[in-house]
Amino acid sequence: MSTTHDIAIIGGGIMGCATALRLAEVGMRTIVLDQGDLGLGASGVNAGTLSLQIKRVKLMPYALAGHREWEAMGVAVGFKKPGGYTLAFTAREAALLQERQSLKAQAGAPIRFVSIDELRKAEPNLAPGIVAASYCPEDGYANSSLTGRYYRLRMRAADIDVRERCPATKISQTSGGFRIETPQAPVKCVRLLIAAGGWIKPLAGQLGVDLPINVRVNTASVTERMKPLFSAVIGHATGLLTMKQKTDGTVLIGGGWQGRGTPQSGRGTVTMETVIPNLALAQFALPALGSARVTRCWTGFEANVPDFYPLAGQLPGVANAFVLGCVRGGFTIGPYIGRLMGDFILGRETELSLFDPGRDFNEELQ
Amino acid sequence: MIRLIRDRSTDIKRTRLLTFHFDGQPVQAHEGETVAVALLRAGQLTTRTAPNDQAPRGLFCCMGLCQECVVVIDGRVTEACRRIVTDGLVVEPTNGAP
Amino acid sequence: MTADCDIAVLGAGPAGANAAIQAATGGCSVVLLDEAAQPGGQVWRAKSTSILSAPANSESKAGDALRRAVNQSDITHHGSTRVWQIERVDDVWRLYLLQGNQTEKMTARALILATGAREFVHPIPGWTTPGVHGLAGATALFKDALILPGKNTVVAGAGPLAFFVASEIRRLGGQIAAVITPNSRSEWLRAIPAMSARPDLLARGATWVADLMTSGIPIHWRHAVTAVSGTSQVDAVHFQRVSPDWSPVDKVRTLNADSLCLGHGLIPDTQAAQLAGLELTYRAELGGWVARVAPDGITEVKNLFVCGDGAGILGAAAAVVQGRLAGLAAATGFGAQRSENLYQQLLSQHARAARFGRAATALALPRPGLNRVATPNTIICRCESLTLADIRDEIRTGATSTNAVKAGLRAGMGPCGGRYCQTAVSRLIEHTANLPEGSVAPPTPRPPLRPVPLSAMADDFNYDDLPISKPAPL
Ligand SMILES: Cc1cc2nc3c(=O)[nH]c(=O)nc-3n(C[C@H](O)[C@@H](O)[C@H](O)COP(=O)(O)OP(=O)(O)OC[C@H]3O[C@@H](n4cnc5c(N)ncnc54)[C@H](O)[C@@H]3O)c2cc1C
Ligand SMILES: Cc1cc2nc3c(=O)[nH]c(=O)nc-3n(C[C@H](O)[C@H](O)[C@H](O)COP(=O)(O)OP(=O)(O)OC[C@H]3O[C@@H](n4cnc5c(N)ncnc54)[C@H](O)[C@@H]3O)c2cc1C
Ligand code: FES
Repeated sequence: MSTTHDIAIIGGGIMGCATALRLAEVGMRTIVLDQGDLGLGASGVNAGTLSLQIKRVKLMPYALAGHREWEAMGVAVGFKKPGGYTLAFTAREAALLQERQSLKAQAGAPIRFVSIDELRKAEPNLAPGIVAASYCPEDGYANSSLTGRYYRLRMRAADIDVRERCPATKISQTSGGFRIETPQAPVKCVRLLIAAGGWIKPLAGQLGVDLPINVRVNTASVTERMKPLFSAVIGHATGLLTMKQKTDGTVLIGGGWQGRGTPQSGRGTVTMETVIPNLALAQFALPALGSARVTRCWTGFEANVPDFYPLAGQLPGVANAFVLGCVRGGFTIGPYIGRLMGDFILGRETELSLFDPGRDFNEELQ
Repeated sequence: MIRLIRDRSTDIKRTRLLTFHFDGQPVQAHEGETVAVALLRAGQLTTRTAPNDQAPRGLFCCMGLCQECVVVIDGRVTEACRRIVTDGLVVEPTNGAP
Repeated sequence: MTADCDIAVLGAGPAGANAAIQAATGGCSVVLLDEAAQPGGQVWRAKSTSILSAPANSESKAGDALRRAVNQSDITHHGSTRVWQIERVDDVWRLYLLQGNQTEKMTARALILATGAREFVHPIPGWTTPGVHGLAGATALFKDALILPGKNTVVAGAGPLAFFVASEIRRLGGQIAAVITPNSRSEWLRAIPAMSARPDLLARGATWVADLMTSGIPIHWRHAVTAVSGTSQVDAVHFQRVSPDWSPVDKVRTLNADSLCLGHGLIPDTQAAQLAGLELTYRAELGGWVARVAPDGITEVKNLFVCGDGAGILGAAAAVVQGRLAGLAAATGFGAQRSENLYQQLLSQHARAARFGRAATALALPRPGLNRVATPNTIICRCESLTLADIRDEIRTGATSTNAVKAGLRAGMGPCGGRYCQTAVSRLIEHTANLPEGSVAPPTPRPPLRPVPLSAMADDFNYDDLPISKPAPL
């Protein structure tokens, strides 16, 4: 059996899946490989925050477009848009909040500052001591656990070949494109997209490209069901806390605290040295959380490059090979940038520009 | 009928009885036993309803793992099979959330 | 790094307590941790303080002896202490403990895991009805509070445990409607040669069965309970004859009863081992997914030992010996003299006890026909009330791992952490997707090992201690 696919996508996270859907739309024979289950990398374990308040200024148009995609995906991904507050407890944090959210508002996010009274009315269970808060009605969340299920169903409907628990172990260039070794049959393809999240670096390395990728080990925690305590997405001016209470009553707590481990050594592990202050900050902001029982803490790998902008485009120097990843706020932006990536691979003009993986990462992005 | 294993129930001596409250009703318990055991003796098998289908649930694994027996004490979700009763303790069912 | 003690032992059952005693004998400083107030584990669980006096049985006597031995040793025993997280930091083990509503931390140079087993109850229609208890779980009621599971009880399950439970109900003055076991009499007869490795235990079992027979209590061999009726209490228990693979056959029969003790074997509790960094492999004869552990408790991770039923279901007798071996191995690592004589003697004792244990375990290993007992409406995941149909539909869309089913449906995300559904989910995936037994692993373990109050984890927080990190790039 020697079918050649028009494109093989390594990585069935949100980036790979969203791109695959776009390519299949126009009839490309597409195959997606994932070393584990679909959508259970970063895309399946992230905190699910869809917040314009934590997006980078230059990425705001992408995030706004991303929000529209999520809204359309709707209940199938547990989408909710209750709005979000970012809190400051000190003068320093208030200044930080003022500076940063103003810039984001200028970039097009409907962020405004609210009075403490207005905040209290909306979220009476928040702790006293808040000195400033910003609000964005567009903020919300989706349930990242549903990423795999959502894309599995959509890709099945779109006739995309999907191989789960099937790692790409070796990539080589052939006359007609690429050959990918896997524990199952090898995959032959004309084009290749590496969308392997925290694992991009070694895969690009196999094609002789050294990308300056670092990997963070983000942690998140969840409580068991609680009676309704708050409805908006709550953030902290420093970014050290994000939390939301899902409709089932569970409270999901994150904030970019770091665990341990590397993608290469298998899964990351949480360390209580960072989980504890994360939870403590959550309780500080919302004291009633203290009586909740924490049921799970976990980690996921999030990749980045030195300028913290995405890698989205041609793999430098390798014809017909592409890379997509390292997107800050990648869950939010994923469905949209994946579509752009699809257009790029198809040789079409993209609605917004992409992020050349061959750029100089030490220069200010133009 | 020949009984090889004797009924020894009458040889068991227990501590004094005390009273606590479950869902507003007084329940008697021997000092030192768990909330779950006292409720079982009182015939109170249903200790909560499940969050998604509101079906009655009660003591199941008896070893603090399954979380079926959880009740609310002092505002906290607590495993009844591991919590020792005290005089006047107020125990509420969780019913749904949490 | 310096540590609070040489060796921390998690679990004060027959395995852990003996490991601790052995290691302390070798001169090591040992801390023994267990969420139960008293040592004893599941099999030798101590009576609660509500019992002023009661007749002894072999379990209570063995437990009392163990508790005395722990008391007389140099071990520091922390009862009522839940271990909820295990981390390796530099070259020491760091454990997070829950005592009351407080979190404590401790460190140890070596760690012995003796977490024992939990029960597998295969889902059947009505198994969530109050009044249905785990078969092994029910023994906790007899040992701790000397209380009966009901007034008229059906005892159902495989292996010796069903008969032990029946005998205890009889001893506590209860009434048994019937004992229902999927094992046949000839399976028992075939197991006897291996079980005669421990003639004492075999004889005890024979008495339990003889008592039921001479007292006219029905024993339904090669039968299984296939449904329970009743909503807020058990009204009736339905059962059927089963084939050798435990598939229900023939007509459904009904017993009136107000309670049911139901179990389908034991599963090694491996979550602590996974958190400590051990990978699992499937060993059906040991009760399912286990870490690779040598007879003396040595594992692939340095200064980490596993012993007792948590390493494979071989029963209390084997747990005692493996505990001692693990204690010996751990102490030897810290320079204690090891008597080669004692070591060899223990190894051969373990082999003998394991032979008995394997035979008992083999009788109780769940067989494929059990999968035919649940109906589409039967709840599989108790925490989230997910039915067989829910889970099967999810599997059919391509979710063929426990992690995928968990993510898609929340099966295993409830407060029990999947302990009471994941074995059934694995089996269901294998069955539905035509995969071989033992090919679908349990989900990725996530701490904490038990639900922990957030306030206990968040202890001692000072806002000013928050790291002033570089703000995220704008
Ligand atoms: C409910 C139950 C009842 C049983 N009853 C019998 C019986 O009557 N007769 C029989 O022959 N076999 C029985 N067994 C089988 C049992 O496994 C025995 O073979 C024996 O108890 C095994 O000894 P062990 O030391 O390996 O584990 P256990 O005796 O189970 O000891 C493990 C100990 O670890 C503790 N523990 C586990 N995790 C944690 C944690 N995270 N924090 C703190 N403490 C922890 C537990 O509280 C427990 O005391 C039973 C099993 C179960 C699950
Ligand atoms: C804990 C955490 C919290 C986060 N919170 C948020 C948030 O609240 N909001 C937000 O917008 N973003 C958040 N993010 C970021 C976001 O999750 C990621 O940016 C995004 O999911 C990345 O998607 P991806 O497809 O690039 O990577 P992944 O989802 O990791 O997908 C990569 C896939 O590649 C597969 N793979 C790797 N190597 C191979 C190989 N050799 N062969 C085959 N397959 C391979 C992996 O198995 C994986 O499934 C968070 C991230 C983490 C870790
Ligand atoms: S009965 Fe299972 S936790 Fe109490």
